[in-house]
Amino acid sequence: MIVLNDIHKHYGRVRANDGISLTLEPGRIYALVGENGAGKSTLMRVLAGHTRPTSGTLEIGGETISHLTPTLAREKGVGMLYQDPLDFPAMPVWENFQLGAPKRSKQEVVDVIGELSYRLDACFLPDEPVSSLTVGERQLLELLRLLDLGATTLILDEPTTGITPEQKQDLFDLLMKLAREEGHTIILVTHKLSEAFEMADSIFIMRQGALVATLEPPYDEKELVHLMFGDAADGEVEALPELPPKDVTPRLTMRDTLFAGPKYSMGDLNFTARPGECIGLAGLDGSGQELFLRGLCGLDRMPGGGFDLDSATYRSNDFATLRKAGVQFVPADRLQMALFPALNLMEHITLAFPDKKGDLTDFYQSQCVDGFNLRAHPDTQANELSGGNQQRLLLSLIPNDTKLLLMEHPTRGLDAGSARQVWNHLKSRCAKGSTLIFFSPDLDEVLEHSHRVIVFYDRAIAAVVEGDDISMEVVGALMAGKSMEDIKENNS
Amino acid sequence: MNRDSLLAQIGWVCAALGLALFLTILVAWPAGAPPFETIYVLFKGGVSSMSKIGRVLAGWVPLTLCAVGLLVPFTARLWNIGVEGQVIMGAIFCTAALRPYDEGGALQIALAIGAAMLGGALWALLAGCLRVFGRVHEIFSGLGLNFVALGVTLWLIFGPWKRPGVASMSGTQPLDMSLWLPRLGKLSVSWVGLALAIAATIFVYILLYRTKWGLKMRAVGENPKAATLFSLGPRRRLLQAFMICGALAGLAGATQVLGVYHRLLPAISSNYGYTALLVGMMASFRLPLVPFICLFFAILNVGSIQLPLQLGLDSSLSGVIQGVMVLSLFIVQGLRLWLRQRKEAD
Amino acid sequence: METFGLTLAAILVAGSPLVLATLGETLTEKAGIINLSLDGSILLSAMAAFVVSVTFDNPWIGLLAGMAVGAAIAGVLGIIGIYLGQSQLAVGFILTLLCRDLAYFLGHNYSRQPGPDLGLWSIPGIGDVPLIGPIFGSQSPVVYLGLVAIFVCWWWMYRTEGGMRLRAVGESPRAAFGRGIRVRLVRLYYCLAGGALIGMAGAAYSLAVKPGWGRPQGCEGAGWIALAIVIFGGWHPVRAALGAFFFAGLQVSGIYLQEVFPSIPAPVFQVAPFPMMILTLLAVNLGRMGWMQDIVRRHPFLKTFSKGWSIEAPAALGQDFDPKKGL
Repeated sequence: MIVLNDIHKHYGRVRANDGISLTLEPGRIYALVGENGAGKSTLMRVLAGHTRPTSGTLEIGGETISHLTPTLAREKGVGMLYQDPLDFPAMPVWENFQLGAPKRSKQEVVDVIGELSYRLDACFLPDEPVSSLTVGERQLLELLRLLDLGATTLILDEPTTGITPEQKQDLFDLLMKLAREEGHTIILVTHKLSEAFEMADSIFIMRQGALVATLEPPYDEKELVHLMFGDAADGEVEALPELPPKDVTPRLTMRDTLFAGPKYSMGDLNFTARPGECIGLAGLDGSGQELFLRGLCGLDRMPGGGFDLDSATYRSNDFATLRKAGVQFVPADRLQMALFPALNLMEHITLAFPDKKGDLTDFYQSQCVDGFNLRAHPDTQANELSGGNQQRLLLSLIPNDTKLLLMEHPTRGLDAGSARQVWNHLKSRCAKGSTLIFFSPDLDEVLEHSHRVIVFYDRAIAAVVEGDDISMEVVGALMAGKSMEDIKENNS
Repeated sequence: MNRDSLLAQIGWVCAALGLALFLTILVAWPAGAPPFETIYVLFKGGVSSMSKIGRVLAGWVPLTLCAVGLLVPFTARLWNIGVEGQVIMGAIFCTAALRPYDEGGALQIALAIGAAMLGGALWALLAGCLRVFGRVHEIFSGLGLNFVALGVTLWLIFGPWKRPGVASMSGTQPLDMSLWLPRLGKLSVSWVGLALAIAATIFVYILLYRTKWGLKMRAVGENPKAATLFSLGPRRRLLQAFMICGALAGLAGATQVLGVYHRLLPAISSNYGYTALLVGMMASFRLPLVPFICLFFAILNVGSIQLPLQLGLDSSLSGVIQGVMVLSLFIVQGLRLWLRQRKEAD
Repeated sequence: METFGLTLAAILVAGSPLVLATLGETLTEKAGIINLSLDGSILLSAMAAFVVSVTFDNPWIGLLAGMAVGAAIAGVLGIIGIYLGQSQLAVGFILTLLCRDLAYFLGHNYSRQPGPDLGLWSIPGIGDVPLIGPIFGSQSPVVYLGLVAIFVCWWWMYRTEGGMRLRAVGESPRAAFGRGIRVRLVRLYYCLAGGALIGMAGAAYSLAVKPGWGRPQGCEGAGWIALAIVIFGGWHPVRAALGAFFFAGLQVSGIYLQEVFPSIPAPVFQVAPFPMMILTLLAVNLGRMGWMQDIVRRHPFLKTFSKGWSIEAPAALGQDFDPKKGL
């Protein structure tokens, strides 16, 4: 049994965890829900010994301690699985498995991996580098490693992002087995309520650093949503805008396009999009959707084929030319890739709108504050903004007359209120005629906000789905490599 | 860093100086150097007479030119280690431009200065292209080209440009006096050189902090990937930064040839390039501090010439002190950081 | 045949200090730390080794002194860079200039003085064996030190648990921390170990390859070449050592070429290693360039070739890690 007593974790003035106490019993599956920024991951990192709490204690196995370290946590049987597995991509599978474990020979490690793989119906080649595995396989390897180290308390941080629905089901079956048959304690950190309903014996709800409630089944969705989001839960998301008629000049026509990125290339791409369309991209990590977006804006090369933007043909994809023509790219990693951390908001505006001369204070007011609700002093540096404000800043820097908007994960790390605002804004852009092509590792987001979905598998377009086909079953199966015919057959 | 009060900041600077003093004494002790007498000789050797002050200023000019020049690539987070070679290349181009002239005047001097800036800029462009297009880190390309520039100098001095009858380390045929930079009174420094150094400082200040160009360069240094997204043309700007620094370094080479040695010699750059890098690091690349630190380092350089004569010590001691000072600064900065982190953790 | 053997022997001797320095830096960089003080470190340890060996009239004590100095300099870099959070590149660069000046300053009185050197080891009986005879019959001990070091580094890195931890720390310090590894301590440890090898290289210069101390010292610039060879060698000890011998081979053949072509001025041969260094670094990056990748894609048989060509740096090279910040 594990008890967390009044855990506080402060980063300067930010109170990521504000006095949290909870109890975990063996053999049960817990869900820790809350929106992005609520403090769930921080709390679990305290439990796993990856961070020290500012104050508070932990009681594990009868002993009270002020903090854990990774080594102590392992001794106490606590293991944490990150969304992005914390492994060594360049090193082989067996070394990844062995690092941190008591001394063993290579042969012994290989045997252990073999046995665990057999029991769980997986296949790992010991000498292959971990970088050659999919995200789901890397997660499974980490899980096996934690079990091998004797973890009895398993924390999984957003484990279902980036894996197929099938892999997710396998994972959940395994977790059930571990809890019910072996008496492990499982904690699932997630912001997806459906998963919590499906699996949890008990749900902890966190909001803004505090534990607001603990729920037992039967679960009431409305109550849960209200506890998770507070008053912001009552916002409405706008519906998808209507599409213009089919005879309008297409916004984008791709002809046998070949894109080449640093790691792989993707060819024979043919696709057409209309003005005002919202197109979602779905696929596992590395299936081609990133290259698709980066190729269209000119960040990755286009050695073959071409595409039309409205009526203009492009045989080469020079970034600056395309940007002038109305193609804008917004990366997922805001601070690392799209903003200048130490420059302030006014400087960002100056750089983004080089044609405007003179004093831009009025422009800042109209563009950012009025247009996007970015309530921050123009002298604030980009790295001092919250995630939601950073996204507002990014969106305010995009010219209003953008024709093709390419976004990698529009709502990454945003709380529900900000995410809703972002989508309302994007939909209004589409209503005014911009075409949006976006990707999100969150399949629900892709399904909810798309007129059509392009599904990628193995560095090619598997299919383009629309209408009723935009569903978890169809898209999930396509992502995993099944063909459209097989899916239709299964359904009928 | 700015949250500490002025008093605390002064305190930290004094701590750094104290540490530097202590470390200097520590490393000089094995050489048998009496510490306080050594320091006295050093400083006296730099400031004790007008002629010495003149030499100090003559050393200040190229050092300042290089140091303010380095601020430009540093804004883009680039280490232009190749600045030493750019000084040499500037000196070579300057000498080359004057080869056809046995005598001349202001026109020839201006031509030579222009050639020197071109030479430095081109050499820097080479290092820049290797970095931007070849992804060779500027540490390697810069250093490699430094040695190549030195090799070219040696080849010229002992080969095509050797003095008739004599090929020696003392360099090429000296320039006619009409091609020398005019002196400041009886001092051995040229007022032209001083004016150029001051002008360069003002130019760099305005460029970096008062123009949009400077803002864009800072953006490129902050985040080159985002700079691409903003269509700032980061590659083009990086090359521009290299070239401006190279031009100023070439100018420093010209002042060495035209104002100090009046010919090309192997040691024409006198390590000013590397020393300028130390100055920049010591000033944390803040422009207002640069000219003063350059003056201090120039005093040390001139003063160290007295060491072999008066105390039988090697003149590298000035370099040792310069290195120790910058190192002490980094140590003290690190201690400040460490203490602040400990405070935040509690 | 005889000349060939002698040439190989010369390459081994000339290359051994470079091999030692390269191996040391490979260890350090594999753990994620860049020791830019390499060049100055070699000079200062060369001077220290010579001075100590003169003082005690024993070159082996001098060798140890050289190693100690190399480790100490790396230790300074390690502490300031790892624990005090300052830029590794900046501190390394300051140290390289500082150590160089310090070497000339402190070595002033020992310039051009005679002193003991490590001598030659003869293996009885081998001297007459063809091919191996001229190479190993009577060879400087630094060659053997170098060869042993290559083997020990490779074995340690890829065949021991400690080596696995070394590589882990350089790949992903966060993941290593999560496995209970003390990242900063491991990094400091390999900084010191690498520094000791660098110090050995410096001692090898002043006690074997070019005995004595003077101004300018013959090994100036060798440290920078070693840094480039680490990259060229893909951070693998055997590959890096081969790269070091390759460079030494170039330098030795440069001496012969100078005799054959006296019209080409001496400076060309002296500075030749540096443009070579730039060219090798360019070649190493070739595989990443867009136009090169297009060519490989159109001719798939080149793929096997390009696979061996590409190198990957330790993912966390040069990056800071602070365990207090947690994960």
